[in-house]
Amino acid sequence: MQQRLAGYETRLTRTVALCTALSLAFVAAGLTIEATLQDGVQALDLLRGLLMFVTTGWLAWGALLAIIGLAPLPRTAAPAYDPEQGRSIVLMPICNEDPLTTFARVAAIDRSMADAGVKADIAILSDTRDDMAAQRERDAFARLLSTTGGQGRIFYRRRDQNTGRKAGNIEEFIRRSGAAYDYAVILDADSLMEGATIRAMIARMQADPELGLLQTLPKILAARSFFGRALQFSAAFHSPVFTRGLARMQGVTGPFWGHNAIVRVRAFAESCGLPALSGRPPFGGHILSHDYVEAALLARAGWVVEVDATLGGSYEEAPENVLSYAKRDRRWCQGNLQHARLLTAPGLRGWSRFVFLQGILAYIVSAFWAVFLVASVLSAAFAPAPDYFPDTYQLFPVFPNDRTREITALALGIVGLLILPKFAIIAEAAITRRARSFGGTLRAAGSVLTEILFTSLLAPVMMAYQTRAILQIVSGQDGGWPANARGEGQLSVAAAARAAGWVTVLGVVVTTSVWWLSPELVLWILPVSLPMVAAPLLIAATSRPLRGGLFQVPERNDTPEVYGKYLDVIDGWTEDQPSRTESPAHVAA
Amino acid sequence: MNDLSNTDFDPALAEAVALTNWLPPEAPLAMPRQVLEADADHALLSTLLRLIFPARRV
Repeated sequence: MQQRLAGYETRLTRTVALCTALSLAFVAAGLTIEATLQDGVQALDLLRGLLMFVTTGWLAWGALLAIIGLAPLPRTAAPAYDPEQGRSIVLMPICNEDPLTTFARVAAIDRSMADAGVKADIAILSDTRDDMAAQRERDAFARLLSTTGGQGRIFYRRRDQNTGRKAGNIEEFIRRSGAAYDYAVILDADSLMEGATIRAMIARMQADPELGLLQTLPKILAARSFFGRALQFSAAFHSPVFTRGLARMQGVTGPFWGHNAIVRVRAFAESCGLPALSGRPPFGGHILSHDYVEAALLARAGWVVEVDATLGGSYEEAPENVLSYAKRDRRWCQGNLQHARLLTAPGLRGWSRFVFLQGILAYIVSAFWAVFLVASVLSAAFAPAPDYFPDTYQLFPVFPNDRTREITALALGIVGLLILPKFAIIAEAAITRRARSFGGTLRAAGSVLTEILFTSLLAPVMMAYQTRAILQIVSGQDGGWPANARGEGQLSVAAAARAAGWVTVLGVVVTTSVWWLSPELVLWILPVSLPMVAAPLLIAATSRPLRGGLFQVPERNDTPEVYGKYLDVIDGWTEDQPSRTESPAHVAA
Repeated sequence: MNDLSNTDFDPALAEAVALTNWLPPEAPLAMPRQVLEADADHALLSTLLRLIFPARRV
């Protein structure tokens, strides 16, 4: 199949965005180097300039995604769904999940599809290793069939070996049963999708024979803690705008996020058989972040890959505390760094390579900020004293040029790149009246400000976690694929201290080192080191349940239908199991 | 389709499930392995890794 080229608008958008980000990066690096060269050229100054170039370029790129996504997409007529054109299946790969909540989601999706008139099978693809857990899955499957009457329509399969993990799980299904289906909706164990959304996705596939994959933007459900609610708000309020920007930038070379997407089975089969990379993990072996690679391979084979943020009714759950988030982040970090091996893979489209590079930068940039801070402190500590009388016979002293104004402008510029896109999104939400469903413009703005404050406090902690992850990975430590800890919740300070005590120690070491090396910089380093010192408190406090109007999202007032169905099923199934009354399912959307 | 309120546990059905492999239909589809790395890429990577981590096996 011939590759469909990116359209003129897509190429223009990419060029403008790339040039703007590079220009801002050059300005920032130039200001940094100019200001630091006052006391002569040092290697640390050049390093700081280089780091400033990369980090500012990355921030500017993120900001531009939001700016480009501010304008709404033109409305297009939804294609009609034909239940007789092609066979569809919903795939739910699972591995060591809570079977009751997982299978209850399947029941809800099945009912929702029936309500929407969608004809599709469902297959639960289990990679669960433990026999007892597998027995519980079979019991839950019996309940599922009893509830849905889904014999012959809902399937359950458990693999003997979980080779290739999730990607291998899907691959095994396609190798065994792929020819029976034309379209496959791929979900995660915590996914929920409205039948109407699945219907619209299948219709898109039916209407465009070149469409290989269509990704939706999942919203987060069932968040309870401050951390979870902040993540939920951010995903609902900011992500649609960022995703629109992404869609405009990526064109037909869109993303795959591994779930809540539909694929054309034939396209996926002929393009996405993933090999194990030569060498050992973390850089060799099975591909961890397989979804990005599958999107790139579909595009390489000429299939269209698109993301559509306007498709509602697509949901997932998310980590409820910083530790769970960092654990997931460690896996993603390893997966993205592994993509360094694929930057030169034969035949990939240029944009796919750039997407891999972006994924790598998303993590490397944290380490770059850390190195920048260390280099800045060392540079100040070992800078030569100013020479006010460089000539032997000199009446008046020569003062070094004051660059405070330039440095302040640089700092404000960087903060602006972080904050301005979010303010622009508030304005967009107010103008389009989208803010109404977030409690009104004022409440949405309050939520955004709180989220900015929270992420500013959290940034140094995540910088520590991500830098540690990068160091572990480049030193050859394989993080593996730990099971998802869904439904985990509130943490005590002691538990947070046990897990994040090293961040506290690091914060204390940073503060005392700066005090010792360059006392005048202590105040400047406190915004970074204090949150690190207080990491256990921050982690424990934000894992506590949050009630009230902060971080209001539409789904909390207007429970999605499929979520209501899920709650109905889980209530029925857990009636005779009082120990399960604390199920994560029993929370507001 | 049954009503979702019918959440009774049916032991007979559970037994049937335990005895049966509820597999999806058998309809094989080829999924060829894709080429993602050229030999030259691997050689280059090995050289780079040896330069960065001389003590590591790559």
